[in-house]
Amino acid sequence: MNADHRVPAEDEATAAELALGLIEGEERAAALRRVLAEPAFAAAVERWRVRLAQLFDLWPDAVPPPELIDRIDASLDGAPRPATRRMPWPLIATIATAVAACLLVFVVARPDPVSPPPIAAEAPALVAGIAGTGTAERQVVGALYRPETGTLRVAASTLAPAGRVAQLWVIAGDAPPYPLGLLAADVTVIRLTPADRARIAAGATLAISIEPPGGSPTGQPTGPVVGTGGLSAV
Amino acid sequence: MPGWSRHDGRGFCNRRSRSTLPPVPDPAAARAHLGDLLIRTGSEDRAAFGELYDLTSAKLFGIALRICGDRAAAEDVVHEVYLLIWRRAGAWEPGRASPISWMATIARNRAIDWRRAAGVRAAQPIEAADAVPDPAPDALALAATGDERARLFGCMDGLDPRTRAAIRTAFFDGLTYREVAIREATPLATIKSVIRRGLIRLRDCLGREAAP
Repeated sequence: MNADHRVPAEDEATAAELALGLIEGEERAAALRRVLAEPAFAAAVERWRVRLAQLFDLWPDAVPPPELIDRIDASLDGAPRPATRRMPWPLIATIATAVAACLLVFVVARPDPVSPPPIAAEAPALVAGIAGTGTAERQVVGALYRPETGTLRVAASTLAPAGRVAQLWVIAGDAPPYPLGLLAADVTVIRLTPADRARIAAGATLAISIEPPGGSPTGQPTGPVVGTGGLSAV
Repeated sequence: MPGWSRHDGRGFCNRRSRSTLPPVPDPAAARAHLGDLLIRTGSEDRAAFGELYDLTSAKLFGIALRICGDRAAAEDVVHEVYLLIWRRAGAWEPGRASPISWMATIARNRAIDWRRAAGVRAAQPIEAADAVPDPAPDALALAATGDERARLFGCMDGLDPRTRAAIRTAFFDGLTYREVAIREATPLATIKSVIRRGLIRLRDCLGREAAP
């Protein structure tokens, strides 16, 4: 339904700030949580994205050097990783990798019916620490995505109260959350469809909401969001 | 709808590479064509990917170049963006974002990520944001119908020049409030309230029409 659910002016401004990328840190995280929890707010962000995208038409074109397509073409054949020539992702990358490595240990150390993932895989594995939010006691749920098998493994959690289920979502950029599956109390391994795999990328956010048994009836989170965490390459 | 048959992929491509452009091709048909290329790219069709690159790389490189402020970095970003597009084309949903806005958004986000990771402060003064040319016919003017664009540009023009410049620089240079404040040498709280008020006015102006 695309009817214009009007949201208050202040919320409109916040939705626009998120769509433009003006806010950062905790302010941005809070707005992203609202995207998950409030469909009307998520729709407002989406409307701003569509509106602002019209400004791309004004962006002056610049022709890239002709050999760039060859570089891209060549890297499609090999390991599906961008060339990192001159790409200094200095401190952030180092910290992200260290955090990711810790999480990987955390996830892999759990009892596992599947063989442990090879760490030096061709495509990078992705990990996320889904940090508990709100009043729920603070816990971090580790998640590991293995591109070679297309499986997403989520550590055990006790986030869902009795009679409710924890549902996992992925948010790419400022797009609305997309459901990936329900989490068991024990370790959950979700085998993703090819379309879902395409949504899993470094920079995307994983989130967990509490839903009625069977999962959200609407396709968007209906219950409280109890945790969010960004995916990063190991 | 005027037939796309007159504008097959090659013709569109060739026309873009000439400097004197005939009138903009039917935007709906061009958008449908890009969508088709994106869907085929999602099924790992290399030829479709190549044509997609031909049609869109100048736009995406322009975005990366402006935000990164460095050709070599912009090349790396565009390289990475097309690999992301290759891998994620299957996630593009027709009916939501237009193909070019979906791709342009990825490019803008990656370029911003690069700049923040590299610790480079965007070099252009804020006045440069207004130097981005006014609407001109563009073969890739596919994001919206002419009406919607005209309305957005009209509403932007209705803002006072300082607010308009601040919103434009946030978009075109990919700046956060903090970065806009530094560049304008203005307190953060002031910038925030100027931009927020401007965004609400923009919304009110646009909101007189039905939502998309």
